[in-house]
Amino acid sequence: MNNNLYSNLHAEGLVSDESLAKTRLKEEKPLLFSVHWEIKTLLYVGVLLLTGGLGLLIYENIDTIGHEFVLMLIAAICLGCFYYCFKNKLPFSKNRVLSPNSFFDYILLLASTSLLIFVGYLQFEYKVFGTNYGMATLIPMLALFFIAYYFDHLGILSMAIANLALWMGVSVTPKQLLLNSDFNSETIIYTYLLLGILLIAGGYAAQRFNYKKHFKFSYLHYGIHVAYIALLAGYFHYYDSAIAAAWMLGILTLSFLMYHDAFKNKSFYFLLLVILYSYIALSSLVIRFLLSINDGVMIELIAFYFIGSGIGFIFLLINLNKKLKAA
Amino acid sequence: MIAYNKTWLANLRLQDEVKKDVQQGNVSDAEFNGIAQKYPVSFYTPNLFVRIGLFILTCVIMSFGDGLLTLMAASSRGLVESAFWLFFLGALAYAGLEIMINASHHYRSGVDDALLFICGCFFTTGFAVLLSNNNYGTHYLSLSGLIFLLTLWLSIRFADMLAATTCCVAFLAFIFFAWIKIVPAGLSTAPFIMMLVSGGVYWVASVYSSRKEFINYDNCLIVAKAVSLTALYASGNYYIIQTLSSEMMGKTGPVPFGAIFWIWTILMPFAYIGFGIKRKDVILLRVGLLLITAAALTFRTYYHVLPVDVALTIAGTVILTVVYAVVKYLKTPKHGFTYTEPDEVNLMDHLKVESLIVAETFSHAPAAPTDEGVKFGGGDFGGGGSSGGF
Repeated sequence: MNNNLYSNLHAEGLVSDESLAKTRLKEEKPLLFSVHWEIKTLLYVGVLLLTGGLGLLIYENIDTIGHEFVLMLIAAICLGCFYYCFKNKLPFSKNRVLSPNSFFDYILLLASTSLLIFVGYLQFEYKVFGTNYGMATLIPMLALFFIAYYFDHLGILSMAIANLALWMGVSVTPKQLLLNSDFNSETIIYTYLLLGILLIAGGYAAQRFNYKKHFKFSYLHYGIHVAYIALLAGYFHYYDSAIAAAWMLGILTLSFLMYHDAFKNKSFYFLLLVILYSYIALSSLVIRFLLSINDGVMIELIAFYFIGSGIGFIFLLINLNKKLKAA
Repeated sequence: MIAYNKTWLANLRLQDEVKKDVQQGNVSDAEFNGIAQKYPVSFYTPNLFVRIGLFILTCVIMSFGDGLLTLMAASSRGLVESAFWLFFLGALAYAGLEIMINASHHYRSGVDDALLFICGCFFTTGFAVLLSNNNYGTHYLSLSGLIFLLTLWLSIRFADMLAATTCCVAFLAFIFFAWIKIVPAGLSTAPFIMMLVSGGVYWVASVYSSRKEFINYDNCLIVAKAVSLTALYASGNYYIIQTLSSEMMGKTGPVPFGAIFWIWTILMPFAYIGFGIKRKDVILLRVGLLLITAAALTFRTYYHVLPVDVALTIAGTVILTVVYAVVKYLKTPKHGFTYTEPDEVNLMDHLKVESLIVAETFSHAPAAPTDEGVKFGGGDFGGGGSSGGF
């Protein structure tokens, strides 16, 4: 059928002789059935099961095995994996380095997780860092950032960012950010805000200095979410005081910057985030305004606002999408 | 029958086909542009992110619009509480959907997805309210029948995958409830009937998916195949049969013909994988791989052979060994199999989804030092899926 397709297109003069020959050549090759995704998924599941199982095994038999043995085992796994990675890695470069084979990424992942477990174990059992928790999280974090940059591994970069957040006293994966955080404490809000700004700055720096440019996505992804949520939380926290305006201004600035960045890099994802978070901010302002009028018909007015603004934002999104595609 | 312009759908398929060759460098960009002009597609189909945005915004508009209408109608007594109000709102969404498709040519743009979803939800809730009003618990038969008809129409009209999934499930549920209602001692024979029916659905879907007339419903048929394969397995799964018979008839203890069901439970996933490899069928292969988990869990529910930790460790080792062996074996492609990436570039790769999933599942582990109730495990091992990663 495919063959017919190109014959027809060729007959209509839409495909050149050369291209037709190329597609013919492709069809003559036997069609390969790729199990790439199945293999990748299974690898991931396997590593997950193995680390989970081993962890549990050790946890339950700690009395009989003894801590030294467990620590040595973890260290052996860790060192073995790192040895493999150092031996097989491709030379370091400021740009993207592809992994040498499909196992490499997972072995590195195993190495990093076992490193974390090792440090965590030391701290938990022997209190190596005492009560200096900052130190106990700083060292794994630095190690992770180093590994992520040295071996060029995006997954470990994400782990490092999560550890950075942990070091600063918050947890950063979006799921936890929404589920476990209470936004009422001022310190948490400021920490979040600082973290968000730091991550966004990290993303910009990656691009500006052309150093592991492709890491920018991960930095910005976490940075934008954290910064927006912190700003919104700040706004609602200081709802009744005049400082709220400053938080709103912060959202406006962030939206403005990210909007330009999204256009510059043609990123639909960040454009969508900017639009949705800005919509939330705008809506909270409008509702505040409507509530302050305090008339009898407020609910209807609010409903009308959402219908109208919803339609408005749909057209905005469609137009921006067009503009971004043309840009 | 299908709401979308058929010529455009055909052109879209053609363009997609050519696009693959453009990416592989077999066809030049200029040629593609010529082809795109000759075979135009005037649908409005934005990229994934815009689609998500439009979906959310449409849901906001619809919920506030419907809320406003309900508020207005609330003054007339009894209107809003009845199921017909839900039907009215559902019909409104349906009308909006037809208008968006016919006038604005939306195709998988988020707007039509949202409207279809809302419409289906309103009608389904409406049916449920209508039927549960008079008799409690016995309305499942008619409910599943009505939902089947509704989603069948939605699938035929809009070729939507979610509608098709619901349609398949509702159909199987309908057959199940009909059988246990009509046939005396229906529950003990139900597994065999369900096997027959879901096997039949799979067969029909496979036959029709190769027909030219149904090419627009390709994705629906894929979903139908996946659902029916899962149902085929589930209808012979020991745990499901035992749970159902104890829930619905109050019978406990082992199931009659237990041996047959045990063989089915354990061997079917491997049969799926075997056929999947033989026929190079992705659906069979993937469903089979997933069902191995189900088989393992079922087995563990009844026989506690190994403690969890040992079982997990062994499972992990076995999986890694098998994968390693497969990769070694396929170093050069054999029998038409390869483990290198397919040539098609897909959007997900741009997003680096994998790194985000890793962060979601592993990021609990590094929390060790500050957490009080520390476990030494490597994160939670429940989610192997894409848990809303982006």
